Amino acid sequence: MTSIQYSATVSPMPILSLNGISLTIQNHRILQDVSFDVKEGEIIGLIGPNGSGKTTLFNVLSGFLQPSKGTIAFRGQDITTLIPSRRARLGIGRVFQHFGIFREMTLEENVRVALEALPREQRRALGDLEELIGATLEMATLKSHAKQKAGSLSGGQMRLLEIARTLKSGKELFLLDEPTAGVSPKMTHQVADIIQELKKKGKTVLIIEHDLPFIGRICDRVVVLDLGKVVLIDEPEKVRQSRALKEIYFGADPTT
Amino acid sequence: MQLLINGLIAGSLAALIAAGLALVYGVLGVFNLALGQIVLVGGYATWWFCQVAGLPLFLGIPAGLVTGGLVAWLTFILFVKPFYKHHRFLPLVTTIALSMILDGLILLLFQERPRSILPGMKETMLLFGGRVSSEQLVLIAFTLVILFGFAYLFHSTAVGRRIRAVVQHDHAAMSLGINAPSLHTLIFVLSGVFAAAGGIFIGIDQNLTPTLAFPITIKAYAAIIAGGKGNFWGAIVCAYLIALLEQVVVGIHWFGVFYIPAGYQQTVALLFIIVFLLLKPTGIFGSVSRSA
Repeated sequence: MTSIQYSATVSPMPILSLNGISLTIQNHRILQDVSFDVKEGEIIGLIGPNGSGKTTLFNVLSGFLQPSKGTIAFRGQDITTLIPSRRARLGIGRVFQHFGIFREMTLEENVRVALEALPREQRRALGDLEELIGATLEMATLKSHAKQKAGSLSGGQMRLLEIARTLKSGKELFLLDEPTAGVSPKMTHQVADIIQELKKKGKTVLIIEHDLPFIGRICDRVVVLDLGKVVLIDEPEKVRQSRALKEIYFGADPTT
Repeated sequence: MQLLINGLIAGSLAALIAAGLALVYGVLGVFNLALGQIVLVGGYATWWFCQVAGLPLFLGIPAGLVTGGLVAWLTFILFVKPFYKHHRFLPLVTTIALSMILDGLILLLFQERPRSILPGMKETMLLFGGRVSSEQLVLIAFTLVILFGFAYLFHSTAVGRRIRAVVQHDHAAMSLGINAPSLHTLIFVLSGVFAAAGGIFIGIDQNLTPTLAFPITIKAYAAIIAGGKGNFWGAIVCAYLIALLEQVVVGIHWFGVFYIPAGYQQTVALLFIIVFLLLKPTGIFGSVSRSA
């Protein structure tokens, strides 16, 4: 890769471009002509009812599913046919709905394996491995649990570990799939804080979430998906007031 | 005591083979039913290198291991890789086909007569009241070295951590930049090397015959199922357990009245699976399962 530093102010190129993504599995059209751009440093909320294709879209972006049509570009590079690990090495990170944690490994190993998977030059640039592992666990406020198996953590703790690990391993674009699902209300704030931190660090975030107030607080724009199609892309406040959203969630209102 | 020693010898052999298999099942979720044939290929190749080509043992054994790895690699590329993403039971069918092909080839190339890598009488010694040959002691020790060496690789190295990560959550591992497909190939080849080691074990301790393959496969599967599918250490413990049980079943003078004929030895492994699945469907150490 080149050593050019991109930043939100200078780069006119979107960090992520989806062009006409369609996915058909066994005659079911799961995604239909999904197109939008994401600017560097933007936080985008992805909402829509169950089965609208949100997680499927994430799977297409991470490379677990190949779109039937359309292309994906990351920083101008076409990544449509790249395998998941290559995309990860380019800087696309994923946080899973059901926790992407290695439960039978210790917390320390969970972080170590992520850092070891980086390309060599990138790992060197991040500095001392042991220090970085310590810093990652510290960020997740889990340093005292380093030698514990990750499976013994609470949902909220797993989520913090997963996000901190993704951040500290140098990812630039974050795909967060329902980061507050399975997290106790008390811990939700901590998870929200760590996402705010991503924003402060200029990272780009796509976030699937059902909690609309939560989306409203942190997102710059919201993409509404329904039946695999993009229905609306706008600022959170405008989306909240739109009729389209109400129709999707509650059905069309015959009186208006 | 003799039963215990015999069980230990047979168990070491089974453990080697089951170890590779448990790894393949744990990581890929795939069954390789041509495993017993790869065991034989490793054994026969070593026999050929030592007895026909005239290489010394310390060169013939690595050559046999490489052959086993190579055949496993070809198996993966031709019979597993194109199929297992569509459905993970498809390789079940394709590897049965392969096992038949290999059975035929083995018969053709090495013929029916028993082959031994170290022909001739082996000197035995008395140990704790049982008879054991020095080769057998070396083989038991060798197995332990391989297994502990692998344990070290698995638990304390970067490659081992990657393998465990892929076993526990393959999507998360890939999203961190771990190249799971190339690890899959590596693991399949490694299972072939383990299998070949098992074949060499047979070739040194006993004789290689073309009909050995299927019972070997069945026993290895019994061990991994009883050990908790994909659980590496569970499979190894169960491999030793089944081997010991086999020795005991046919070796004991039951109630002072009758012997169970040695021919029934093979059924022990199968009974073992059945009883186990009835009592504890997840296996002895079956708490850890593959993530879907």
